[in-house]
Amino acid sequence: MESLEYLMKGFQIALQWQNILFAFIGVFIGTCVGTLPGIGPISGVALLIPVTATMTGGMPPEQAAASSIILLAGIYYGAMYGGSTTSILLNTPGDSAAVVTTLDGYQMAKQGRAGQALAISAIASFSAGIISLIGMVLLSEPLSNLALHFGPAEYFSLMLLGLCAVSGLAGKSMTKALLMTVFGLLIGTIGVDNVSGISRFTFDYPPLYQGVEFLTVAVGLFALGEVFKTILERKDAEGKVAEVGTILPTRQQLKQSAAPIGRGSVLGFLVGVLPGAGATLATFFAYIMERKLHKDPDRFGKGAVEGVAGPEAANNGASGGAMIPMLTLGIPGSGTTAVLLGALVMYNIQPGPLLFEEHPTVAWGLIASMFIGNLFLLILNLPLIRMFTKIVDTPIKYLIPCIIAISIFGVYAVQVSTFDLFLLIGFGLLGYLLARHDYPLAPVVLGVVLGPMIENNMRRALTGSNGDWLIFLQKPISLTFLIASLLLLVVPLLLQMRKPKQNATEAM
Amino acid sequence: MKKWWMIPVVAVTAIAVTACSGGSNPFAEGKDASGYPERPLTMVAPSGAGGGWDLTARSITKALVAEKLVDQTITVENKPGGGGAVFMAEYATKYKKDPYHFFVNSPPILINNLKKEGNSPYGYRDTTPLAQLTKDYGALVVRKDSKYKDLSSLIRDLEKNPKGVTIAGGSAPGSMDHVVAVLPAYESGLDPKKLKYVSYDGGGEAIAALLGGNADVIATDASSIGEYKKARKVRVLGVTAPKRLSGELKDVPTLKEEGIDADFTIWRGVFGPKEMSPEALQYWEERLKKLSTSKAWQKELKANDWQGDYKNSKEFTAFLKEQEKQISEILDKMGMAK
Repeated sequence: MESLEYLMKGFQIALQWQNILFAFIGVFIGTCVGTLPGIGPISGVALLIPVTATMTGGMPPEQAAASSIILLAGIYYGAMYGGSTTSILLNTPGDSAAVVTTLDGYQMAKQGRAGQALAISAIASFSAGIISLIGMVLLSEPLSNLALHFGPAEYFSLMLLGLCAVSGLAGKSMTKALLMTVFGLLIGTIGVDNVSGISRFTFDYPPLYQGVEFLTVAVGLFALGEVFKTILERKDAEGKVAEVGTILPTRQQLKQSAAPIGRGSVLGFLVGVLPGAGATLATFFAYIMERKLHKDPDRFGKGAVEGVAGPEAANNGASGGAMIPMLTLGIPGSGTTAVLLGALVMYNIQPGPLLFEEHPTVAWGLIASMFIGNLFLLILNLPLIRMFTKIVDTPIKYLIPCIIAISIFGVYAVQVSTFDLFLLIGFGLLGYLLARHDYPLAPVVLGVVLGPMIENNMRRALTGSNGDWLIFLQKPISLTFLIASLLLLVVPLLLQMRKPKQNATEAM
Repeated sequence: MKKWWMIPVVAVTAIAVTACSGGSNPFAEGKDASGYPERPLTMVAPSGAGGGWDLTARSITKALVAEKLVDQTITVENKPGGGGAVFMAEYATKYKKDPYHFFVNSPPILINNLKKEGNSPYGYRDTTPLAQLTKDYGALVVRKDSKYKDLSSLIRDLEKNPKGVTIAGGSAPGSMDHVVAVLPAYESGLDPKKLKYVSYDGGGEAIAALLGGNADVIATDASSIGEYKKARKVRVLGVTAPKRLSGELKDVPTLKEEGIDADFTIWRGVFGPKEMSPEALQYWEERLKKLSTSKAWQKELKANDWQGDYKNSKEFTAFLKEQEKQISEILDKMGMAK
């Protein structure tokens, strides 16, 4: 087993004292970030990128990259643990992947079973984390071998599939999600075009030559957008912290949750591997599946422990699964992995088919550190449940200035330009306005990341084929992805068209 | 209007500041060379962390400190943006007379200044080139199983059908990899505009495209292709060096051996502000020359797999002028010159 050998080497890296420390800091911040409503894993990771860049400043580049990605990934899967805390206690999801947990988790808390709900969610997250890691170790190798034969045509079709999936799933309204995707794609065209060398929308202004920095967009839209919302709407967080009862779940609850945890983990992992699908979708799938499989579906929504265990396992499974396309193909499977990709590029590490070959330290070190990180999370989450509820109590007047300061320092530390600070504020206002009118923000971010990749790969493929568009259909993998994208767009429409008909026949 | 009292305060402060700075200048100039670096120094890498410039700046700084060549502290600063153009605009205007900020660069300082798109209005003439410290060369690379065994067979095919061969590189058209890619064809009398150049994001991606069969030939740095040759994955058709290289690429012919009268050096060097006092210039010339032969620097070269090549300020400036002419001609033929 070659991959197990690599994994052992990964553990050698992950078990270096500074990396253990980084993994711990990462999962700790992740748990906090996940707990705080509004600051999801995306903004958490985006905010911490410049901080880790400073922390790892003195190290050799490869090690610095490994250490910082260990920390940043820790925030990512750590936030998946923490996200459920406020869902359960306050009916306020810390991030979108924790929305489903509110359905039964909050009900459990109301019945005085908050401690058990939190514990089950921690155990589910831990199990899913480990299951998805085993999947990563075993499946990432065949996937990465396949990846080397991914040419521009295949990349283009795959990116298109990712874009289709995200646009269709990101929000309540398909039209708004598509609008936001296009907006992101437009931002992505700014700068000197990498294929023709022509500058677009740069107005001969050097700071725009390399395009709009992804970090500026992400921090602006998510972190500052939330700040503007809180300030302008002065919405004080109400809601009482429910009394946290006994933490230990009963033997029967554990028995009830075992199967949902297993199913949720596998489902989450598989959905997570699909680029663009992401954790939120996985949690919904898991919840629906548990409900369908249960003998007594009416218990759901009234504090069923399975309704917490399934989705919580799914969102952590998905965060592991999403790492596979990110590490082996360089494709972000979710908004947060898109930010993680940006972080790798900042260390001059090109995520892509050669990551495992060229940077085994980074790739395997990260995977191994996730085993350790998951263990930390379990240890952290069980006894610290009470303390985390206190963070939610932090008065907004102290919270907001901190977020603003971190955002501005963060962006300036990376870009060292005041122009980017104005951009940051601009995107913050935009983020507020868009979110207020129910425009999903994640498609913007994915548009910015995927746009240049889609465009460049399309034109690379066309340059290679001397302008023959058939190249996208001639390559079997590319064709498969194109068909899948088409299905992704057409099937929901067909289902919608069928629905009224069905209702009509029932009415008759 | 409660702020009237601010006016005299501001005025006095302004006068005081002017007087102080005016007074200290002749004092500073009166000092001899040994007193020159009175303040901490800054070495700028005009890119983000981790790139070639960043590594060079950090290695130079590390070696200078290790050999105790500079008595002041030196910090490395990253100023990314516009492929170095953002920093150049700031440096050539704000730091024109400031002998405390230095930076590292490579051929893009010439290319950015010459090319039409993404142009930087400032070039090496807006600086004082202090020393060249390292060198590398371009390489033309094919897959191990490619039908091209040498450069001349590739050129013959390109003559017959320029669009039949996909050439790739890790940087945008009109930048360094593109120049290296078209150099042999251009010197053989082919029209570089007709060649099919596909750009990827970085050398690693270009190599992946080559290995995966999505490019027929790639242009890249000679230093980065060694490990792939070692792994028997690629064949290197030629390097743009004036003499054969050592090490892994020792059996690779130069362009000259293949009958193409051209070479291209990918150098890295240190630059200072345009207006430097003779003392400061002498100070840096001495220190960088000492650095180039120092043990600490040799260690850095080895650690990063670089080749040392020292040129002093005068030689370096003359060399830059020559390379500028070469690049300008090629860009002109590619239709990408300013």
